[in-house]
Amino acid sequence: MGILSHVPTLRSDRPLREAVETLQEVDVPALPVEDARGSLYGIFGEREFIEAIFPGYIKELRYAGFVPHSLDVAIERRSGCLDKPVGDYTNREPIAVTEGFSDAELAETFLHHRVLIVPVVDAERRVIGVVTRRTFFDIVSARMP
Amino acid sequence: MALSICIFAGALALIVSERFDRTKIALVGAALLLLTQTIDQELALEAIHFDTLGLLAGMMIIVRLTEATGLYTFIAIRAGQLSRGRPFLLVVALAVPTAILSAFLDNLTTILLMVPITFLLADAFDIDPIPLILIEVMACNIGGAATLIGDPPNIMIASATGLSFMDFIINVAPIAYFSTAVVVCLLYLAFRRRIRIAPEMRDKVLELDASRSIEDPRELKRLAPLLILTIVAFFVHKPLNLEPATVALCGATAMLAFSRQSLQETLGGIEWPTLFFFVGLFVMVGALEHTGAIDELTGAIVSITDGDRTAELLAITWSSSIIGGIVDNIPLTATMIPVVDSIAGDSGDNAYWWALSLGACFGGNLTIISAAANVAAAGMASRAGQPIGFVQFLKIGVPVTVFSTVLATIYLLLRYT
Repeated sequence: MGILSHVPTLRSDRPLREAVETLQEVDVPALPVEDARGSLYGIFGEREFIEAIFPGYIKELRYAGFVPHSLDVAIERRSGCLDKPVGDYTNREPIAVTEGFSDAELAETFLHHRVLIVPVVDAERRVIGVVTRRTFFDIVSARMP
Repeated sequence: MALSICIFAGALALIVSERFDRTKIALVGAALLLLTQTIDQELALEAIHFDTLGLLAGMMIIVRLTEATGLYTFIAIRAGQLSRGRPFLLVVALAVPTAILSAFLDNLTTILLMVPITFLLADAFDIDPIPLILIEVMACNIGGAATLIGDPPNIMIASATGLSFMDFIINVAPIAYFSTAVVVCLLYLAFRRRIRIAPEMRDKVLELDASRSIEDPRELKRLAPLLILTIVAFFVHKPLNLEPATVALCGATAMLAFSRQSLQETLGGIEWPTLFFFVGLFVMVGALEHTGAIDELTGAIVSITDGDRTAELLAITWSSSIIGGIVDNIPLTATMIPVVDSIAGDSGDNAYWWALSLGACFGGNLTIISAAANVAAAGMASRAGQPIGFVQFLKIGVPVTVFSTVLATIYLLLRYT
């Protein structure tokens, strides 16, 4: 089983709607985003989409169990975000590993950051592929005696 | 003396520029003063007001522990529901808990608690949240002046003078709450067109289940009696012969002992950068005092005002409000304390301290960067997709600051001259 998944990359200046459609077509929870020069810009995935489509204050609340269903319609007022560039909603944390990464480096990255994929980049920060947390789990768990 | 003034002025300029972290600036300034032996190490240690640090740290722990129970969210939601969708009542319902919470919690925490709920209520009513948030920020900065623990300038003044919690309640709270009420009413009039609520939306807020906002009812039952006891102890700390810092730290210790929350996470919630900012600042102001710069400044104020008490009160109030609003009211207060101490002398005339307190606290409304609460509100609004511009804030902040300082001036002149 190969650890690297070859997935499409998103362009930071393309609309969010297009990114979501691409995300729906692939079987990974997030995709790498690249800038106009083709370098890694960040990660956009399910979590970033939820953050984009729900009101910003939801993230500021410690707990939202008291919010009624009627406010679910509030997301309809934010549908305008689908036409904005995906770069505005991308996770810009500098999360990536370079070719030749070790298992320990991947483990450390998954433990320290709430991401479901880690992009693998070359020396020019161009995306070669991604490692999903699920693939990493499958490979590590298969080693169990 | 020249070196201490240069380092202090340079540090202030860098703080205003916002290009570097203010804590780093204060610590570097203090380190330079120590390394150049402008102030010796023993004097530097004496210059640090450990009671200010203790009070701040104690309150940070208390806020951190009680906030996790959901108590303050419950208060905010219930207040919003009491308005029943009437715009004026909604403004009052949000401004009153903001002003009261800010008198007992720090302003930043109050805003961090109130703003997300305000966005939620505005969403329920389908109205613009920004006017409500601006009103909350103004109420928070003015209301914070009401008590000894409401705003850092008051904590610093109390530490330096020994003025009690009740002294602040009797002398500062009346004008703080009067100013809050007048400012909130005027802002409502200014914003009333932007916060019209459609009749069919008025009941939406009743669908919020406030009781579910209490995240940990058992923890609340453990901590609520201790919170009440601590607040009562603040009111009677003087007759009990306890320093405010002792009350805060003992309250925090009792809560830590009974709480089931992680000790590590709770203590991790202490805002260490703020405490170290105070340490650096106290050392820098200590150097100004030690080298005689404060005496020079005091002399200048006395010569300008010609020793006239009314003119001195006006000078302290307005310079604290305007300079505190432009620079940052914490270094302003730290610098002004020895000046006011020198002007007041042994007269026992506390009006000078109330002038400093009101000026420094009310000045927090001047610009979007005048107080940490303003910056936090702007940050949350921006993350929610509705940024508050610098000029947009200034258009409200300047008139509110000038108007509230005028009210404070009239109060000081009527009551103390």
